[in-house]
Amino acid sequence: MYAPQFPIETERLRLRPFTRGDVDAVFTYRQRTDVTQYLSDGPMSHQSVTEVVQLRVGQQAFLAEGDKIFLAAELRSPQRVIGEVSLILRDAPSRQAEIGYVFHPDFHGRGYATEAARVLLQMGFEGAGMHRIYARCAAANEASWKVMERLGMRREAHFREHSFVKGAWDEEFVYALLEGEWRDGAGR
Amino acid sequence: MPDFPIETARLALRNFQKSDLDAVMAYHALPEVQRYLDWKARDRVEVKAALDAMCAQQRLHRPGDVITLAVVKKSDGLLVGQVSLKWTDATAGQAELRFILSPTQRQQGYARESVRAALDLGFNEFGLHRIFARCSARNEASAKLLKELGMRLEAHFREHALFQGEWDEELHFAILDREWLRGSKVKELKRNMVA
Repeated sequence: MYAPQFPIETERLRLRPFTRGDVDAVFTYRQRTDVTQYLSDGPMSHQSVTEVVQLRVGQQAFLAEGDKIFLAAELRSPQRVIGEVSLILRDAPSRQAEIGYVFHPDFHGRGYATEAARVLLQMGFEGAGMHRIYARCAAANEASWKVMERLGMRREAHFREHSFVKGAWDEEFVYALLEGEWRDGAGR
Repeated sequence: MPDFPIETARLALRNFQKSDLDAVMAYHALPEVQRYLDWKARDRVEVKAALDAMCAQQRLHRPGDVITLAVVKKSDGLLVGQVSLKWTDATAGQAELRFILSPTQRQQGYARESVRAALDLGFNEFGLHRIFARCSARNEASAKLLKELGMRLEAHFREHALFQGEWDEELHFAILDREWLRGSKVKELKRNMVA
């Protein structure tokens, strides 16, 4: 249905499927509490990261609803994995997908997430023919929703205390973009 | 569990009974009601199946359970609609509110009166933390009602799904227990001051 060619290169990044050799690089940020504080996952052990990376090696195309494309975000120079991005097919008949991104804190604030997420939108709209792409994040995770705003996504939801996560009330933003808005140049 | 029926000024909220079939049929199967529902009950067989399900929805024992109540006029016992609460999340005390009012009974405040009773039930009896309601952006009457009851517009999803062959636009309204209880206290104070 949608099986893109990899790697996909941007000015500074290379997006490609995971390989088993990526475990150590992913572990460096997935073990950190400042990375997981806004994620549903907690900090991961090396063993958990190994299992997750193993699973993601095969996640690189949309063949059926629920399928996920997980890609390593690799700095082109010096070559190094600095994060991960995802494009998930949530609803095939209505052509809805969700994007996500996690980056190593040492590489925050330089526009890498925006650069990578823009590729995800392009893949989703132009490659997979999606009608609407959305992203979710904790309301307190300002760096994350700023990326969504830079991409031209609109804030569609602000859910207050709608779930109880890791011992605290969760507050969530949902941002979305429609294919027509992407065609009209949103966020570029 | 509260004692049913729950009485408001003009209405009683009670469990559904098999004998409600004709009354439910009178509003459920109407195209203008069906257009906003995500289950189909267009003829007698389908409405009977829906009613059988609603008759069984009397308790919130575990997440996923629904309580559905028939809304009847106290003056003449006429069934004018229904309200329901679906317990969606036990840990976070969340439930979804739904309501239908027969098109022949609108503009008299019955929807507002029954939804208010459902919110009281959810917060006071079931101790919920947050109650939310969804409606189509085209369903202006419902959106207005939810807003007037103090529910906040939390989401406006554009073209997030295909619904009956068209792009759907969906609104989410929500209210937290402390917001509802604060509102209720203000009401009581006003009543006392008038008396």
